[in-house]
Amino acid sequence: MGSDYEYSDDDGEYYDDEEMFDGTQDEGDDVDMDNFGDDFKVAGKGKRKSYEVDYDSLSQQAVEKLMQRDVDHICGIFGVDTDTANLLLRHMKWNKERLIEKFMDNATSVLVAAGVAAPEPASPPAPVRTHNNSAPNSSTTRRPTTRGSKLLSLASGSKSAKSPPSTPKPMQRQLSKKQDEPFVCQICFNDAPDLQTLSLGCDHAFCTECWTDYIVSKIRDESEHSIRCMAEGCALVAPDSFIRSVLLPETGADPEKQEFNEKTWSRLQELFVRHFVGCNSSLKFCPYPSCTNTVSCPSAASKSSLTTIVPTVSCGARGIGNSAQDPAQSQQASLGLQGKEHKFCFGCDIESDHRPVICGVARMWLKKCRDDSETANWIKSNTKECSACQSTIEKNGGCNHMTCKKCKHEFCWVCMGPWSEHGTAWYSCNRFDEKTGVDARDAQSRSRASLERYLHYYNRWANHEQSAKLSLDLYAKTEKKMEEMQITSALTWIEVQFMKKAVEEVDKCRMTLKWTYAMAYYLAKGNEKELFEDNQRDLEKAVEDLSELLESQIEAEQIPTLRQQVTNKTVYVQKRNEIVLEDTANGFLEGRWRWNVPVPGFDDPVETA
Amino acid sequence: MDARLRRVNKEISDCKNDKTSQIKIELFDESPFHLKGSFPGPEGTPYEGGLFEVDIVIPDSYPFQPVKMKFITKVYHPNVSSASGAICLDILKDAWSPVLTLKSTLISLQSLLCSPEPNDPQDAEVAKHYMTSKSSFEETATYWTQIYAGGPGPKEKKGKGVGGKGVQDEVAIAGLERAHVDRFETLGFERSKVIDALRRLNYRGPNIAQITDDRVVEELLK
Ligand SMILES: [Zn+2]
Ligand SMILES: [Zn+2]
Ligand SMILES: [Zn+2]
Ligand SMILES: [Zn+2]
Ligand SMILES: [Zn+2]
Ligand SMILES: [Zn+2]
Repeated sequence: MGSDYEYSDDDGEYYDDEEMFDGTQDEGDDVDMDNFGDDFKVAGKGKRKSYEVDYDSLSQQAVEKLMQRDVDHICGIFGVDTDTANLLLRHMKWNKERLIEKFMDNATSVLVAAGVAAPEPASPPAPVRTHNNSAPNSSTTRRPTTRGSKLLSLASGSKSAKSPPSTPKPMQRQLSKKQDEPFVCQICFNDAPDLQTLSLGCDHAFCTECWTDYIVSKIRDESEHSIRCMAEGCALVAPDSFIRSVLLPETGADPEKQEFNEKTWSRLQELFVRHFVGCNSSLKFCPYPSCTNTVSCPSAASKSSLTTIVPTVSCGARGIGNSAQDPAQSQQASLGLQGKEHKFCFGCDIESDHRPVICGVARMWLKKCRDDSETANWIKSNTKECSACQSTIEKNGGCNHMTCKKCKHEFCWVCMGPWSEHGTAWYSCNRFDEKTGVDARDAQSRSRASLERYLHYYNRWANHEQSAKLSLDLYAKTEKKMEEMQITSALTWIEVQFMKKAVEEVDKCRMTLKWTYAMAYYLAKGNEKELFEDNQRDLEKAVEDLSELLESQIEAEQIPTLRQQVTNKTVYVQKRNEIVLEDTANGFLEGRWRWNVPVPGFDDPVETA
Repeated sequence: MDARLRRVNKEISDCKNDKTSQIKIELFDESPFHLKGSFPGPEGTPYEGGLFEVDIVIPDSYPFQPVKMKFITKVYHPNVSSASGAICLDILKDAWSPVLTLKSTLISLQSLLCSPEPNDPQDAEVAKHYMTSKSSFEETATYWTQIYAGGPGPKEKKGKGVGGKGVQDEVAIAGLERAHVDRFETLGFERSKVIDALRRLNYRGPNIAQITDDRVVEELLK
């Protein structure tokens, strides 16, 4: 398996801790934000925080270099050419140690299994299941596999022989007329006398055009990098140089086709890299569309590491597609989704950043939400009735402080309670009082209580998700406000960036808050959970305050005050978010968290009466 | 001319010219890329005497991608979906080779009818039936051949299960025993529900001893 597999002994360059991509970079954002960003620094930069992991971002070329190093190594040991080394390594899922072991044990069987050589002498290809009496024309394509067996004798001798086996040349280009009978391509039935044909070491010849179409179809339609001979049951795999010579022949085809084939060739290179990355548990390919970067995160390579860390990483690129990185667009794009960095979780595919909760618990929560979606559907609704006058109110910003347009009643979107109780008497909205309404003797009310308990957490979870989605609107609105500010006040473009920073911070913290509800749902009752929910409540209060400030009306003369207020609150929100992330991450590292359900990698919950 | 079209046309005409072959390939309408293949059920199998029709779709990248085939005729076979006619056969997937032809693939389907692979099933319920009681499975497959593929029907065997001409016997189609269905029907369950439940439970052969009446009732109440 690839889990304990390391790149190579002389490595170090790619995993050097000093060179590690610094996770705090996302604090600094764009280059043009640098002089402004300093206002918002909470803690000193440099040291990795407990909720961050060490990782490194690799370009496709960097990964190709790693592959090439393994290939060169194998070439050196076995005395084979690059083509063969590549096929062998791919066949063994890039586990070099196992390949060397197997090759030393029985070179022939490895070469056959990897599709480098045909099996023992001239035996007909293994029949395909339930295909005994079929394919009359397949027999006509069978020819003695002379080249294959020659290669075999060399390869099997390599164990004892001093001289390395000569590298197999599994490609032949031939004119069909050398044989007495006229050649007919068994795929397109073309029998033109000047037909150019190609075959692998097995001598199964087909016309060049069929080979091209076949290779293109394998790569484009199937995303397949291992391309077998076209003959039925033949297990030889086309080596890279063969594919290259087919797709990129020296004699130029028409330019349109050439460009198409060049794209196919580079798609194949990406497939090779993806395969290599997939074989190595400390690497992960960036999941963003049309991005070809890889992230290396050895500390999250094992399953067990995922019970103590949440490996949120970023490939280093930004935006979707290539356009977003165009500097001319970046100013516009940086506000919305377009300029977002390629953040993802190294440990799972469920969501890009589900800190502070670990992958396993996040997955459990999402499954529960899916299973219970029927019962929970009603909350997803985007409209509610004012609790005072019953007129319908639509939520259209991220803020939970609702004011009914009709009767001016102020209330909390989450619990529908009056806002006044939240503002002054504190924010008790995040904690579900489990004591209320539970009649221990009544099974029905108990199951209702358990549903209500779930809905309490789900409601808040869904609300933050909803708010984060709406924050795209908020981005747009904020952008407009920033433009207005530049016109109505003497502030420069740089000086109005505090608004953008605040929106980003709210967005980020809503994600944290969202996942804290998934975490709290599964946390076992006790002091630890109460402290967790205290931190959660403090963050939630800070976020709602800032969010409300952002949605307030802006009067020109108040802008300097507003700027000060927003900046202060942004710093405070940042601090609260740090505390939640930091404390939760430390709790995982210290093994402090206890769950109310069994979680893989943790002690089973202790029954508390 | 388009290489795909040239090849398909040649395959169709080769097949037409081969007078000894049992395999037929016809056009549905004008398109040479949507075809109907057919072949007789192999001798010495429950499919003998039936004619089996296959829906053939030639994909854009044929012959570099496998042809798409499914049975039009309903077939009772572990590797063929009894509902949709979908086929589980390696050469229609990753073992496909561009040198295979429509004709050779249809021959492979014919030989699939001779040699079921219940360990790699397309229809799990049929595969279970096959594994539990081969003779009971063959009775059902023969019955299906008779009513769906124009087969001659069972060769003078107890004469049970087979209704009169034109009347399809739901119990025989499901591969069950009439007595079993009758017994649970008298408990007050709808006949079609009983048939569904017993089929799902694979209530056949030695399996019957393993399944309690309570289990059947539980399934019926689902
Ligand atoms: Zn050809
Ligand atoms: Zn071959
Ligand atoms: Zn990326
Ligand atoms: Zn994760
Ligand atoms: Zn109202
Ligand atoms: Zn509330």
